[in-house]
Amino acid sequence: MRRVILIADDSPTIRKFVSVALSTKGYEIIACADGMEALEKLPGNKIDLLITDLNMPNVDGFQLIKSIRENEEYKELPIIVLSSLGSSEDIHRGLEYGANSYLIKPFDPKRVLYEVSKYLN
Amino acid sequence: MENKLSMEQVFEKLGDLKQFFIFGQKIVPLFKKIIDFMTDIVPLLENVNNSIQDTTSKIPKAAHQINSVTSATEIATSEILDIVDSMSNDMTKIKNELSDLKNGFLNQRVALDAFAQKVPASSETLEELKSNLSIDELESKVISLEEVINKIELDATNITISLQVQDITAQQLASVNHLIHSVQEKLSSLMVDFNKQEGFVLLDTETPKVDPKVFNPNAKYDRSEAHQSVADQLIEQAKRNNNDNGNKTSQEEIDKLFRNNG
Repeated sequence: MRRVILIADDSPTIRKFVSVALSTKGYEIIACADGMEALEKLPGNKIDLLITDLNMPNVDGFQLIKSIRENEEYKELPIIVLSSLGSSEDIHRGLEYGANSYLIKPFDPKRVLYEVSKYLN
Repeated sequence: MENKLSMEQVFEKLGDLKQFFIFGQKIVPLFKKIIDFMTDIVPLLENVNNSIQDTTSKIPKAAHQINSVTSATEIATSEILDIVDSMSNDMTKIKNELSDLKNGFLNQRVALDAFAQKVPASSETLEELKSNLSIDELESKVISLEEVINKIELDATNITISLQVQDITAQQLASVNHLIHSVQEKLSSLMVDFNKQEGFVLLDTETPKVDPKVFNPNAKYDRSEAHQSVADQLIEQAKRNNNDNGNKTSQEEIDKLFRNNG
């Protein structure tokens, strides 16, 4: 069965980068433009992993991670942050909110695949 | 006696009046200077007002142009990415074909060796046949082609990393638009203050509003591993704190994974 990955990023190019990198390895991708949309798409789809940006409109990445971790159903969902915010404070904050991995843009697609495979293979 | 007192009062008043005229003589040039200054400053203020109006009317256009740049680079990046993706798919096909060729060479060798064992007398002819088939030569060509393909794949990966500059610049441009919006708001309020008496109506020339949550004003296109290395160390530390065995991700591990997965 194909593993489903939810990508939340307001940049269409980043959504495409990640989608291209992961779909070639057989993952099913669901892309959305902000945290609000991601929260809406979580219940209806069997999401195995979330890749999220932090700077997003409506619900940002931090709020998205917090909301997910507060929900018992998604407490164990692997979350990979993909952000241009690269200061120690931001990384700490991301991890404190419940992210499992933190990748800084610009990213190597191989590294994204490696992180995904750590949780899904 | 009474008359003398009245006259003293009159002189006293005249003295005051004289002082007033002396003061007036001193103050008049000052008033003149103020009037001259006002005469000079009013056109200048009008000029400033007109400049502000002019600038304020141009700001939305600049902001919209910045948005157009972002949209255009998004489309172009997406198109390049499609081409790179298509190239990568073609490379994968070529790699599979080359792998089949290598297997074919191996099978040919095995078949020739099996034939040599079955018909020992034919060994000389077989050697000649092997030489004519140039299996070793062709195989080394296939191997060098594989190396070229691997290099092209690496270049394609580097292109995809470089293309992410679009996302970084989009964030920087969003930050500029946010600043422009703030400047326009200030200028508009100045203009309203300037033109209060004239029943001035501000033209509806709004700049696109940018939510400060959607961009990182310090976004940088930095391909060095410095920040990622800090992130990895913090994750490792967090995992250690959670009594989890956090293993630092090494480039070797990543490369190993991709060697195994093809």
